Amino acid sequence: MTRSARGARTTLRLAAGLGSAVLLLAGCGGGGGGQAGGGSTQTSGVTITVALAADPPPKAALDDFTKQTGITVNWVNIDWDSLQTKISAAATAKTYFADATDVDWSRVGQLGKLGWFYPMDDYVDVASLKADMPQLASFTSDGKVVGIPYDASFMVTTYNKKLFDAAGVTSEPTTMDEYTSALQKVKAKGDVEHPLDIPFAASEGLSTYWYETTNAFGGTVLDDAGKPQFTDPGSAGYKAAQWMVDAMKNGLVPPGNINVTDSQGQQTLMAKGEVASIFSDYSGTVGTLYDLPDQSSVKGQVRYLKTPGVTGTTTNLSNPDGVGIPKEAKYPQAAAKFIDWFTSQEKQVDFAGVNGPDKAFTAFPIPSRLSAVEKMTASGNLVYGEQLEQMLSGSKPVFPGGAPTWYPQFSNAVYTNLHAAATGSMSVDDAIKAMGDTATKLSSGQ
Amino acid sequence: MSSTGSAGVVEAPRGGHAGGGSTPSPARRRRHTTSAGPLPYVLVAPVIIFIAGLAFVPAVFTIVQSFFTVNALDPPTRFSGLSNFRNLLESDAIRSSAANTALYVVVGVTLSTVLGVAMAILLQRPFRGRSLVIAVLILPWALPGVVEGILWSGIFDPNAGLVTSVLGDLGLGGGQVLLGPNRVLTIVLIELVQVWQITPLSVLLVLAALQLIPDELYEAAQIDGCSRWGAIRQITLPLARPGIAVCMVQALVATLNVFDQPYVLNGAAATGATVTMQTYFVSFQNLDFGQGYALSLLITVVTLVGSLLIVKAVYRKVEL
Repeated sequence: MTRSARGARTTLRLAAGLGSAVLLLAGCGGGGGGQAGGGSTQTSGVTITVALAADPPPKAALDDFTKQTGITVNWVNIDWDSLQTKISAAATAKTYFADATDVDWSRVGQLGKLGWFYPMDDYVDVASLKADMPQLASFTSDGKVVGIPYDASFMVTTYNKKLFDAAGVTSEPTTMDEYTSALQKVKAKGDVEHPLDIPFAASEGLSTYWYETTNAFGGTVLDDAGKPQFTDPGSAGYKAAQWMVDAMKNGLVPPGNINVTDSQGQQTLMAKGEVASIFSDYSGTVGTLYDLPDQSSVKGQVRYLKTPGVTGTTTNLSNPDGVGIPKEAKYPQAAAKFIDWFTSQEKQVDFAGVNGPDKAFTAFPIPSRLSAVEKMTASGNLVYGEQLEQMLSGSKPVFPGGAPTWYPQFSNAVYTNLHAAATGSMSVDDAIKAMGDTATKLSSGQ
Repeated sequence: MSSTGSAGVVEAPRGGHAGGGSTPSPARRRRHTTSAGPLPYVLVAPVIIFIAGLAFVPAVFTIVQSFFTVNALDPPTRFSGLSNFRNLLESDAIRSSAANTALYVVVGVTLSTVLGVAMAILLQRPFRGRSLVIAVLILPWALPGVVEGILWSGIFDPNAGLVTSVLGDLGLGGGQVLLGPNRVLTIVLIELVQVWQITPLSVLLVLAALQLIPDELYEAAQIDGCSRWGAIRQITLPLARPGIAVCMVQALVATLNVFDQPYVLNGAAATGATVTMQTYFVSFQNLDFGQGYALSLLITVVTLVGSLLIVKAVYRKVEL
């Protein structure tokens, strides 16, 4: 072989090798694809990705939106925990992952400070929404709206009327004392061995249960500065923790609830008639989970109970889901159009099933707009609609001053320590002290 | 004769000439190298770039960033020396999780190795249906940890689980809360679930090593009057050491990084939390990525040191 031929072959080999390397690099780098901030103002002929922890709305509804706006929606359903991780990872790496995604009430303070989401005030007429969306306050941080609530989830008390009636509890309890006494009667009757569900698994559901119980005992968890309001034995938060742990010790709560989460308790205990009440349940479960024959054995038996308080019934705390636009969105304007459509009164009524099951959005317990709830109630499509409407209009945020930026750390301390107190490996006093120390440390910026 | 290279892998005879053959002269070797030119390097370049991009660069990045404050809620990113490490070591949650993880490792590595070796020995000799047994055996390994956690949460459920029913039927008291109240019991039970998952791989690794042991050795031992147990002690176990070392290292890596099973079965409770769970909480819940990097680095160092100790203690070069 001549020298030039050998050289040509070597060059060819080099080119092939380098080509494959370049192809590999191109393949590795192709995933991001997003512009870092800014995004396009294009609102027609584009496809936006909407990532929420829910199945998509009916295809016909999304097709209709595309027809109206020219915007195609790529709906991605990711479980809640993974979604929060994705939001953090994408924002930290400044990479695109969705044009509209979940804004949970508990992360509003954090997201507001981080500036990972566009202020919705720039895209939506927030002022006009305030009167119709009482839970909008939960999505406001430093005067800016981080996300728009798309459902009105709030905490409610539910009870199995049949079991309560059988135990001789004929009038609805209105105070915590009456409620506890009613549970003891149900236990004594023996239809269920343990009448109360408290999800004592060390996860978020335990924290929210304690917040609602604290509210029932007439107090708040943190003040506006984030200082703990529950460390004194006479405080509502302390009493709430003691009441919950005592309920476990006294046999009102099934022992296995040490590792039961909120949704497991609803599905495997309340819906199966294994317990008679959940003090901090989620709105919308009556008429759906508890009344679906394939998922429930207590159809028609479960009712909402106006939340018992210290001297009479009290308000409910809200924990709604919202949707916002991440700063790395490719098409923020188009995403805003989607959010406007998605949270409109007309769509909320459709999604709630008022205009037929084919238009219903299954992952949609109660509309965030009062006007939509009123329409549902008027049409008779909302089970115990009047009760829910009253509770919704009086619902208030867990943290009146907005969720603190360090909320996830605080919640972790709440559910791990309450869990430990319920297992008996820690006293209530020690658990409260640990939770209080965490809040004090975090609120003082240490 | 072949010689062992990396742990547990018996290398093929060099040059493909079993039993020797003529060794190429230095001149031939030189000619061979010269004619290949840069092609081998170019061909492996994509793989090197791939490995560097996915392993080396992130590793260096993690090491460097672990000495910085990288907190989304406390910008800007700034050098902070050893403060991330100091804060981690002072954290009660981290210390508690480290102790838990140590127990997971001891239980997991011991059980998966003992079971892996025992089951591999049982599967060493051909028997009818052996392939089917191996296929069934490997199923738990193929299941994601989260799925296993959910599956076993039903088994451990004190309200209506299998364990509580069996205990009740045996008169040992049903309805006991197994996970949660007692730290050691909680960790042992959760680790049993992981052992169920990782043991199949241990079996396969040890079985692969056992398959290389010539039957002649056993026959000779039998002729010399060696019992079955004696053969296992004198032949099987010594010659399976490379495979056992790899099996122990994989168990160490798996147990040091256990996340799914404790998280699904016991939530974030301190009685079962692990260091990898803390890495997740620190990084993605607290958004303190600097501490997350530091904790990841510590886990990596512990994994490396542990692996080296295992290899040093267990691995032996085996020539067959």
